[in-house]
Amino acid sequence: MKLAEAIKRAGRATFQLALAAGLAFFSIIFITVLIITLVGTIAVVGAGLLPETVLLIRRMAGMKRHRVAHWTGREIPEAYLPLRGPLREKIGLAVRDTCTFADLRWMVAHYLYGFLVVFAVPLWPAGLVVDGVRSGLLRRDAVVLPLIGRLADLDAAWSYALLKPPPKALLAERVTVLTETRASAIAAHSAELRRIERDLHDGTQARLVALSMRIGLAKRAYERDPQAARKLLDEAQDQAEEALTELRHVVRGIHPPILTDRGLVGAVRALSASSGLDVAVEFDGLADDGPRAPAAVEAAAYFLVAEGLTNAAKYSGATRAEARLTRLPNGLRVSVRDEGRGGADDAGGSGLLGIRRRVAALDGTFNLTSPVGGPTLIEVELPCVW
Amino acid sequence: MRVVIAEDNALLREGLVLLLTSSGHEVVATARAEPEILPALLAHRPDVAVLDVRMPPKFRDEGLRAALAARRQIPDLPVLVLSQYVEQSYAAELLGGGATGVGYLLKDRIGRVDEFLDALERVAAGGTALDPEVVTELMSRRRGTPLDTLTAREREVLQLMAEGRDNTTIAETLVITERSVSKHIGNVFLKLSLPPTDSGHRRVLAVLAYLNNS
Repeated sequence: MKLAEAIKRAGRATFQLALAAGLAFFSIIFITVLIITLVGTIAVVGAGLLPETVLLIRRMAGMKRHRVAHWTGREIPEAYLPLRGPLREKIGLAVRDTCTFADLRWMVAHYLYGFLVVFAVPLWPAGLVVDGVRSGLLRRDAVVLPLIGRLADLDAAWSYALLKPPPKALLAERVTVLTETRASAIAAHSAELRRIERDLHDGTQARLVALSMRIGLAKRAYERDPQAARKLLDEAQDQAEEALTELRHVVRGIHPPILTDRGLVGAVRALSASSGLDVAVEFDGLADDGPRAPAAVEAAAYFLVAEGLTNAAKYSGATRAEARLTRLPNGLRVSVRDEGRGGADDAGGSGLLGIRRRVAALDGTFNLTSPVGGPTLIEVELPCVW
Repeated sequence: MRVVIAEDNALLREGLVLLLTSSGHEVVATARAEPEILPALLAHRPDVAVLDVRMPPKFRDEGLRAALAARRQIPDLPVLVLSQYVEQSYAAELLGGGATGVGYLLKDRIGRVDEFLDALERVAAGGTALDPEVVTELMSRRRGTPLDTLTAREREVLQLMAEGRDNTTIAETLVITERSVSKHIGNVFLKLSLPPTDSGHRRVLAVLAYLNNS
């Protein structure tokens, strides 16, 4: 390492270590506060302070995480339980969270290793002299100053080991996320059921009632006015056909029949053939008779491609588009791209909003980029096992 | 005509048998599941086969596949494929390679008995019967093609022609003379730069090929 570079890095490391020392110094004071709080908590008087104290510990650990990430470029994940609800519940959550104890352990340890900067101080004059001679006269690399960097590396490594969430906490966090997404999936599902119920009730059922009424009237008119009866029967047949058309739309909205017939690969091919665009379709890891994703995932993927191609054909002005489906180890990635004029968004009741909801209900990710002037790219990832 | 019916739903199967026998046709065999279809067709060699797309055992597109398989064994066997919904790619598969004697209709159309029987006879005679919904979709799919230059009347004529109807029926449906139907057809072929064809099946195929590739 060249001298100038070595000095620069040693300087940065010293700064890093000094901050660590500052934090360690602060934590000495803090531990005093903590002891007071604990005593207070036992005496009931200070119970209200406990959640606040835990939050403060989290803030301090957060600062350290931030510093370490800054030094190593590697983030240390967090997995805290959110402290919500009335005081009693908050205290319960703070005590039950395994991260609380992990943080305390770190804080005590950091109280000891936080003063590594002490070693950096004598290394500086020694380093400047030794490395100055080595680099200036002997044209060798610096050896002493980089040690300061090693000290900061040590600080980061220990902090990483102490601050990364215990496996239990990661699981707890996953449960929280799953509970939330499951709740929203159920909400989306019931909204979907209500929509279908409304479509059937307002459309198909009403038409069938009207149809039955017309047949009843035709029966009454049959003897007395055959011509009127015939007209009524004509109308009844129209009603029946409209009811069938509506029913077909409802069915398509629930689960496109071609998905059942041909699977996702065949269905997407059919979509691209009938889109009116020149569509390049690519399947990676999917085949006609290969393994199939869960029905809800296939349906979401199908509706995404359908919507993307429809929008491309209707609004983008493009004549070519691309649809790509990729099987991932634990999911499915779908993307639709066109070289049109862009400017698409999923606001204002567009079909893309429905797709976004569908994707969210399946715990998937939805990305739409469509700058004015194009191109438009919709990318969706749907987690699933297959 | 001698007809073989492949339909798993008892209600619809009996309805079809009733409809066909009361119209003077003979139902020589019925198939309730996919494995029964091909043997029935081979044994009876009917004038026309009526097949449901979705059949047991897998309830996917067995009927359509059976229709295609049957036509490989009995070339030019007229088949009328019925379905609860229509899919353009299925129409393309059935009509691929300039096939004759093919029909593809929504089940809804059975209700219009006269039109349904007409379509069945047309298919048996080597003609085409394509569901209006398929044709509408084909025609509405792309803008900026010569299709835009057609007048409303010419579009109507093109739609009916693509469904497989002859000039007489087109004239009756649109309440115009057969002469003006011929005139409109001439204009359509001119505007779409298609070589003029005599009336009949080849005309339908030319129009469908154009719509499929535009």
